[in-house]
Formats: sequence, C-alpha cells, structure tokens
Amino acid sequence: MSMSKIKLTINGKEIDAEVEPRKLLVHFLREDMGLTGTHVGCDTSNCGACTVLLNGKAVKSCTMLVVQADGREVTTIEGISSGDEMHPLQRAFIQKHGLQCGYCTSGMILTSFWLLSKNKNPTEEEIRKAISGNLCRCTGYQSIVESVKYGAQLLKEEQKGEQEIRVR
Amino acid sequence: MTVLNWKEGDLAYDSSVFVKGKGHFVDDLNLPGTLFMSVLRSPYARARILSIKGGLNGSELKAKMASVGEGADPSQSVSIQPVFATGYVNYVGEPVAAVFGDDRYKATDLLETVEVDYEPMKPVVTMDDALKFPPIHSGMKSNILVQSSRGSDFKDPDSPIVLEDTLENERVATNPIEPRGIVASYSDGMLNVWVSTQSVHSIKDGLVESLDLRPDAIRVMQTDTGGAFGSKGGLYPEYVMASYASMKYGRPVKWIETRREHLSSTNPGRGVRGKVKIFAERDGRITGLKGDVLVDAGAYGTGIASFSAGFIAMMMTGPYSIENGYVIGRSVLTNKVPQGPYRGAGRPEASFFIERMVDLLADELKMDPVDVRLANMSDKAFTSPLGMKIEPAKPFFESAVRELEYRREVKLTNGVGLSFFVLVPAVYPGESARIIVKDGMVKVWLGGNSHGQGHENFARKLVNEELGVPENIVTLFRGDTGMTLDGVGSWGSRSAIAAGAAIVAACRKIKKKVEEENGNYSPELLLSGSYDEFVYEEQKMSLNSFGANLATVEIGKLGNVKIKKCAAYYDVGRALNRDMVIGQIQGGMAQGIGQTLHEGLYYNEDGQLITSSISDAGVPLAEDLPNFTVKIAEHRSSLPHGAKGLGESPTIGVPTALIRAIEKASGKRLRKTPVTPEELIQ
Amino acid sequence: MHPSSFEYFAPKRMEEAIDLLTKFGEEAKIMAGGQSLIPLLKLRMASFPYVIDISRIQGLDYIEEKGKFLEIGALTTLSEIEDSELIKERYRILREAAAQIADPLVRNRGTIGGNISHGDPSNDMPAVIMALDGKLEITGKQGKRVVEASSFITDSFTTLLQEGEILSKIMVPVFDGSSGGCYIKQKKNAGDFSVAAIAVHLSIDKEEKVRRAGIGLTSVGPRPLRAEKGERFLEGKRINDSVASEAANIIVSESDPTSDFYGSADYKKKVLNKIAVEAINTSYERAMVR
Repeated sequence: MSMSKIKLTINGKEIDAEVEPRKLLVHFLREDMGLTGTHVGCDTSNCGACTVLLNGKAVKSCTMLVVQADGREVTTIEGISSGDEMHPLQRAFIQKHGLQCGYCTSGMILTSFWLLSKNKNPTEEEIRKAISGNLCRCTGYQSIVESVKYGAQLLKEEQKGEQEIRVR
Repeated sequence: MTVLNWKEGDLAYDSSVFVKGKGHFVDDLNLPGTLFMSVLRSPYARARILSIKGGLNGSELKAKMASVGEGADPSQSVSIQPVFATGYVNYVGEPVAAVFGDDRYKATDLLETVEVDYEPMKPVVTMDDALKFPPIHSGMKSNILVQSSRGSDFKDPDSPIVLEDTLENERVATNPIEPRGIVASYSDGMLNVWVSTQSVHSIKDGLVESLDLRPDAIRVMQTDTGGAFGSKGGLYPEYVMASYASMKYGRPVKWIETRREHLSSTNPGRGVRGKVKIFAERDGRITGLKGDVLVDAGAYGTGIASFSAGFIAMMMTGPYSIENGYVIGRSVLTNKVPQGPYRGAGRPEASFFIERMVDLLADELKMDPVDVRLANMSDKAFTSPLGMKIEPAKPFFESAVRELEYRREVKLTNGVGLSFFVLVPAVYPGESARIIVKDGMVKVWLGGNSHGQGHENFARKLVNEELGVPENIVTLFRGDTGMTLDGVGSWGSRSAIAAGAAIVAACRKIKKKVEEENGNYSPELLLSGSYDEFVYEEQKMSLNSFGANLATVEIGKLGNVKIKKCAAYYDVGRALNRDMVIGQIQGGMAQGIGQTLHEGLYYNEDGQLITSSISDAGVPLAEDLPNFTVKIAEHRSSLPHGAKGLGESPTIGVPTALIRAIEKASGKRLRKTPVTPEELIQ
Repeated sequence: MHPSSFEYFAPKRMEEAIDLLTKFGEEAKIMAGGQSLIPLLKLRMASFPYVIDISRIQGLDYIEEKGKFLEIGALTTLSEIEDSELIKERYRILREAAAQIADPLVRNRGTIGGNISHGDPSNDMPAVIMALDGKLEITGKQGKRVVEASSFITDSFTTLLQEGEILSKIMVPVFDGSSGGCYIKQKKNAGDFSVAAIAVHLSIDKEEKVRRAGIGLTSVGPRPLRAEKGERFLEGKRINDSVASEAANIIVSESDPTSDFYGSADYKKKVLNKIAVEAINTSYERAMVR
C-alpha cells in the first residue's frame, strides 16, 4: 500500500504527515492528531457532526480524504478559541443552552462560525438554512438558533471593542 | 482508574466542555493496544446458515442475550436472541460474525475474510404475515410472543354511537447523533467496560448474565452519551462480543456503530397498530372502549415488545373517565430487528389510539373536540377499568384550553388540533444515589445515567436545597457500577422524580449523621467532615401527570405541511431547572413532529431495509421545524422535591395534536404516522 | 465506514490527469469535490484501485461571461455558484438550483462538474443546464470537444465521457433581456434528494409570446430528461392558466418515474404536474419583468 506525504495546517500549526490515501480527514484529526472534538455521526454526509473549516469554509470532514486537505488550512472546534478565552459563539451556546448531549455541538458551532464570517446579522431563516447540514436530535434547534443569534451579537460587541481599543 | 488518561474532572457531567470539543465520548477513548471490532451482519431477513468460516462466530461464542433494561421480560426464553446467529438468521443486520483489526479501516477490510453460506427463506415481514404464517422460531406455537389483556370483556352496549377504526404508528429509528459504542478492556481478572448508555447497571447485569461473569469482576462506566432516547438502555449483542473478545485477546476492544448499523440493528421504537372501538352517547360521553393492540416485536423477545403490548393496553382510555374498557395486547414476531423503547415507549401509541378516536367522535357528533374531551373527564380522581389511576383531569384541561389559546386559534384557522394526555412515568421500582462528602466537596453518582438531559443541574439544586451547600461544590459523575452498588436507569420520564428522590433521601441520611455526630447541622459541619451514603430509594406510588398540546398547520398544494404553531402546556410538578425543562420539551416536540411528518423505518416485501440513511429515516432538520411555544404548570407531586415526569410528554402530545390539525386542514381522516405529502397532495 | 485501499493521484495539469486516466482505464475513478464519490467508497458500494483527484488542476474554477456564453469551470463549487454576484444578477435559475442541492456544507465541496458527470438522475444541475440549452466541453487526449448538455447523460450513472476524458467546462448561452426561469424541487425531507424537480427557462418576444422554451426534469426518469414536447407546445404562446396546465400534462407524459422510497410513480407525476405549472408561470412572470 502506498502512502501519501502531506503538509497541512491544523489550527494554525503546520503538520507533516504520511497517510494512507483512503484515510478520511475526520479520522486523521481524531486519531492521528488527537483532536476528538470532531465527531462522526453518520455515513452519508447528512449529520454534520464532523464539520470543520477548510480554508475558512465549513465542510464535512467525513466526506473528505485527508490527502485532499494537503496544502490547506483546517480549523477544528479546538482551534477557534484563543487560549483560555472562548469564542463568543462558544459562550453563546453555553448561555443559551444550545446543546443537550453535546455530540452535534462542535459541528453546529463551526457551521455558525462560517455563517457569521459571511453574514454578521443572520436572520432566523438564514441560520436555519445554514445549519441544514447539521443534525441535532436533542434540542429541536430553537436554542441553537438563539445561541447563534446571541453569538452574532457578542461577536459584534467584541469586534467593536477591539476597534475602540485600536482607535485609542 | 489506571488505564485512562482521563482525570477525575473528566468523569463528571459538564456540558460546558462540549462547546470546546472536550467531551469524553466512547470513541474518544483510545487505550493502548486497542483492537477495533467490525461486525458481519446478515444480508437476509431470514435464512438458514449452511456454514460460517472465519471471524469470531457462534460456533465459539454461544452466549445468548440477557433480558435487561427498560421493560425487560426474562420469561421469553424461546425467543431470546443469540449473540451471534447460529443455524438461522432472522433479520437484516443480525450479527453473524465479528472481526478484529488494529485500526478501524483494517477491521472493515477483514469483514471480507468471513465466508457465510446462506439458504434464503421466505421471511415474515408484516404483523399480518406474523398472524398468518408459521412461527419463525421452532419451539413456539405461533408468532405471538405475548398476549395479555387489560380490563374485563363486556357485552357491546346498545349505544347510539359506535365507532371503530384501525390506527398505526410506523417504526421509528431512535437516531441519537452519537451512535452506540463500547470499549471493553480485560486485565488482571477485571473486565472494565466504557459504554455510551442510559444505564451502566443494565449493561453490567446483562454482561454478567450473558457471559456468566462474577459480578465483582466487571465494572461498567458511562462515557459522555450523545443522545439515546431509549435505545441505549439495555444490552446489545456487540457489547457481549467486545467483552468476550477483550477477555480472549487480552487487549482492549472497541466497537463503534455506524449509522447504517444503527438503522438495521439498533432496536427501533413504535411499530404498533391498534384496532379501537368506542361506544358513546350523543352528548359526547364515551361509555366503553374495546381495543386490539398489535406490537411488531421484530425477530426476538429481547427488546421491549413483550412488555409494550400490556403497557399500551393499560393506557388506552387515556386521561378520560370511561367506565368500561377491555383491551387485548399482542406482540408478534417478524423478521425485523427487535423493537425497543423510543422516547415514550408505548405511551405515544396508546395516546394516539384514544386521541384519534375522540377526534373521530367529535366529527361524528359535529361537536368541538374540546367539548367532547370535557364530556369525558372528571373533577374527581378516577381509576380506569384498565387499571390506571388518574388524578382529577378537568381542572388541568380547562386551564390548558385557556393557556394554549385554543378558542382564539380555531377562529383564525381551520387547521387546529388539540391533544390531552396523562403521562405514566416509569418511576417504579425507584433509583439509587450515592453521595460522598470529602475535602469540602460533594460528589454524587446516580444509578440512572444522563444522556443529555442535564441531570447535573437538578442534582446540584437538590443537594443545595437539602444540605445548604453552594451548588458549585457539588459534582455529578457519570454512571459507574464501581461507585453505585445497584441502580436502574434513565428512561421513562423517571430521572427527575426517581433519581431526584434518591438524592433527597441520601442528603437527608447524611444530614442525620451530621446531626448525630454534632448535635446539630450546618453546612460548615458537613463540609468539615467525611460522609459516604448510598441509598436505593424505592418508588411504588403512581405519579401520573397531565399535558396538552396544540398545533396549527397549513397544507401546501404539494401536500407539504407548514406548521404555524406548535404549543405545549405540561404539568411538571416543580421545575427543578426551568431552562432544562424547556429544552427537554422543545427537543421532544421536534421528535413528535418528526414521527408525525417524516420518520419511518421501511422494509420491502423481502424484509430488506429500504431506509438507508439518517436522512431517509426522517430526522428533522432546522428548516423543517417551527419555533415552539412552551408553557408549564407546577402542581407539586407528592415527592419531597415536588417533581413530576416530563421527558416523554412531548412525544406523546405532539403527534396527536399535529395529526388532528393536518386532518382538519386537509379534510382527510388520518390513521397513521408518518403522514406524508403523498397522502396529502391535492 | 471506511473506504477500501486505493492509489491516489492528484495531478496539477489536465494532460497529466488524462494520461493517468488513459493508463488505468476502468480501474481509475475521477474525483473532484468527492461529495458523491466518497460516501460510495465509505459504504464500499464502489471501490476503485486508482482515484484521480482532479481538484488540483489549475484554471478550472471560474464563472465568467465570454462572448455568447456564460462559462463555468467544472471545478467551480456549488456554493461559488450560489454566491456569485454575476449569477445572482443575471442567471437566477442557476443560483436557485445550486442553493437547493444537499446542504451548505456539501455545496462548499461539491462541484458543478461532479454534479453533472456523476450521471445521477436525481442530481439537479443537469436538468438546469439542459433547460438552458447548455453545452459541455470535454477534454481528452485528442483535445477538446463540445457536446450538447441534453445528450451528455445517456442512462443512470452513464455519460458520454470516454476513457481518458474529463468534463472541463459548462457553457450556457448568455441570456437575452426578455427571459426568465426557475427551478422547483419537491423533497421528501429537507436536505434530501428530490421526489421530482423541474427547470424551466422561457424567452419571450415583443408580443409576450414564448420565443424559446427549455424544460429539464430531475428524478422522474432513468436520466435527467428534457421535455421537448412541452417546450414545442409552449413556443409561440402567451402563458395563461390553461396553457400552463396543458403544458404540464404534456411534460408529465414525457416523464418516466418509477415507484421507490421517495414515492409511487403516480405521486411523482402528480408532483411534477403541479411544479410544472408553477415553474412555467413563475418563469413567464420573471421573463415579463425583464
């Protein structure tokens, strides 16, 4: 079996690896990198528990070979906070109870992260459409939608705060 | 715990870690030297096995499944499932052999090394076939797994109104987003098992029985459990195989279910049909009910089916004061995966039958369905002829009609449905709790194990109330048979009541000890000492509670149902944590909508599963669902902490309200869930 | 769910890809975004000794108007189509169809070339490109050839692509001012494949009569279908309710759905009839506004 050499960036860190071409990105992240926050929930690209960011866009890491990520930037749930400081979306999901069992949470947050990168003020309909590739079986989605809205608000406040600091 | 790099804090329930991806799910556990297990499954609904070559199979591991967990019935010995099929396979997805590889890719590759020769046989696929054809298991007289009845038979009265209908709920896959999974690790005479479960004690009891282990030679520990909804309550064949293999190879063995395996091989819920006849007066009073309930047990009596038939029969008169009742319940064997509990586990089915009939009666009499319901409830407590105790129903229902704004909604649109139900929680036989106070911290374990409901919140609150210590020093740990001697499980709307009561009892025991030692009690005295109490708090009383739902819909010309409003009004006794209560209700309402509009598990005439993905199975997306209106009433229960059952209420009340709303909007009598656009298209 | 082993190649140039495909023949499979292929590999419903990842070939990811055609590189993702300002402004039907495929995450990887050349009768893009009289550029050893989109998919999962050939470009005639179209899709569950879907594109003349009609159908036959009789019927007519309804009947007569998990053949025809009426009316309205 021939192995492929790859170089990719994961959560800001450059990684060199030799992998079996058939290995899915999700398994590389979970097993080779120990980043177990990315989950597997289905076989058919439906549930989105495996969502990561690839060059900033939300994708399903169970429907991608790790070799396809060669030369690219992957961000997982472990990579969106800065040190101990949680990302506003992470805080919002806690405060608005946007989770119960926690299994879909990483995917929901990363998809929302991507959504907010394109759209700072998503409407409820836009949020529901954006997370339509992420299944949650516990919450009925309402608290997730509220979390994303609240996360958007926190993010704006934070960015405003940063701007003010810069102005000063 | 030596084998894990998980620290003590990693063993506690803490939902805040999930937003950082720092949960501890079973597949996150990687012990050194782990073998990954893959299971070869039957491609046939029914076949004779002529030979099996390769893998671990039934010629070596002859164990049978134990009957443990929710609704378990150990009396069904003839139809108990073997861990590996031997001789015959009886459903698509039934385990035939297991292979073990150094990683999950190799384990999957190894499936190709097993050779099985089958001689296909004609399967029994439907419940009608089950009644018509010879038994699928030799040693049985028919495909009837159990037959029981509730109430006493009565002569058909000479009523002015007699209505009869046949109503059905299709099977539903439970589909937690985390599939099932287990890690078994045997060393030095001890089998350590980590599992995604609702009940570590069920799994332990099952493995002890199935593998004939010494109870003190096995410890079952719960990992973070990514949803369960009934399907992770009991033992499964894969758990026995993985445990056995770990003992055989002396290495940790991991098995993680794929979604396809979940659809074919994890016990689904529902799959129940009821033929119901009601006798009524012209003023809307129902004087008698007769029913014939059929439960599709699937291929073995391992699941819940032998219990469900009688349980559903008992609840068939719902919250109504109906004088005469007689219901026969039968569970029948078919060549499909065994049926199991799914959120509600018989309660939604019973409610579906009675509520559909009450609505039919309203239409027959051209009465408002609310008035028909009012005509059948009492402001006194009532014991139904089927054996169910019901508190006075009328006062709650009248407030529900107001709170759900029913009278206003019916003026606005035609597509309105209202439902009413009584929830019978599985509070019996009680639950266990252990509390350790040491080094100024309070640690709690429960016999029943949270799978997303947030038990840690009520645990902290109850300890705070009983012992006066701040909530932030109270930690609830995940299920661990090493920490609790005995316990039941988290299902049947029981945790806040049964586990809550156990926490209260354990706290009181500790408080008494503090008082005995010091002459008085204070939190400071408590925290300066060391205490360790285990209680198994029995529950024998009935703790039923009421709930009502309202739904309004519009139907598009393609038959698509647009839900305009989906509202709930439930008596939760006392909300121990309001946010958790609302979350439970919203999530359950989504599942109620799913069952009504989208979810089903379909087999073709050959017994092949044609539902092939979680999307096919109909798990609703954010786009499918409305915002919910949730209201709660708090009429304290007789328990010391006042709680009542909750978790299953929405899956009972939503389908009946929603299907009625669709019925009104479409003008078509609806008898079955799911209701599809194909039925409703104009 | 884990794919079987295969050898993997990620050529950066078209010629290199074609060489590999020629060399390995039927044992090789082209992968672009992988959103259809990888699930098949994972479920081991398909396996190939050689996977040729063409996604690194330069210059196949663009959306631009060039002369008489809107040209879309085969590696353009569905979300790039959805988000393109040019498409948003001038080719609404393409955006409408793209935005209804699978879910946003799948669209971030899935490409228009893959959606078409997979040959799946329930994929959405073929019907749309057919309705628009689109053409497909195929690159092979002998260079490039251009085929009509309507003839490209010959049967379920079967296309005109020969050994060593790659779909390289999608070409849609630039719309004139007085045209409009839409894509309507009925799904069993949100995010699912369709029960039936229809693409309609109408150009109208000064008298508000249909000058040209293009109609493509998804999920109602062994391959994406072009409803040519329906097109001929509409041409030269002003659209009103009876015309739309008669056209819908004709379109249904051109469909050939089978009963399956998504519904009975009769139901699919019923759905097709209703969405055909709606799509014709909507397209006409949109053409009139222009």
